[in-house]
Amino acid sequence: MVRTRLPDPGPHGDPGLQPERTTLAWGRTMMALVTVSAIFLRWLPHHGFPILLLFAVSAAAAAAIYLTQRRRYGASARGISRERVDADTSAVLWTAFAGVALGALGIGVVLAG
Amino acid sequence: MPSNQTPPNDPVPPSRGKMAERLLPGGTEPDPRFTLANERTFLAWIRTALALLAGGIAIEAFTSDLFLEPVRKSLAVLLLLLGMLLSAGAAGRWIRVERSMRNKTPLPLPLIVPLLAGAGALAAAVVLVFILWR
Repeated sequence: MVRTRLPDPGPHGDPGLQPERTTLAWGRTMMALVTVSAIFLRWLPHHGFPILLLFAVSAAAAAAIYLTQRRRYGASARGISRERVDADTSAVLWTAFAGVALGALGIGVVLAG
Repeated sequence: MPSNQTPPNDPVPPSRGKMAERLLPGGTEPDPRFTLANERTFLAWIRTALALLAGGIAIEAFTSDLFLEPVRKSLAVLLLLLGMLLSAGAAGRWIRVERSMRNKTPLPLPLIVPLLAGAGALAAAVVLVFILWR
């Protein structure tokens, strides 16, 4: 991955600290995904190899959040400054898709085991 | 007017991306604070769903000498199914809330609230029946 220097979004002047709170909410979700992937690995001896698929999905989702946090904070801070934030449709849909995929794979693992 | 000049006050509609245009058509841009709040609420639902998914996998594995296999498997599938539905439902709710904010209509009722409550109660009932019956 090429790391490009993102422009400093500058002070957004929002007393409600919306960009900070939203970035932290993504960070919490990332931590939850890391925890969940550790739980999946913990039960590898019981469920066997297929559980690695669940681990891969949750770990990949956590990594994707980690790598986009800086961009996300910049976009929302600039958005608050100019009073317009574009709804992050693709991030929402990808995150929901990861949840659905984990559920489907999990049901497969439980029923097969 | 020369074609290569745009008047300074021309409100050029900024592009929102194809997916946003299709999923969230029309209306006007809502207060950015509300858009971010909607995103945080979505994430809170996703974390709830993740807890259910991890619980579903764990219950199948660590209660193997506690519950009979059919009870164990149905509880695990119930939790995993609920986690799956909540993930999809959270995205659905996010879209519907975003749409109603764009169109300045009342916010929709959350369908995932009764879903979570109902399935949670059902899971508790399965365990209760099993404990009393054993």
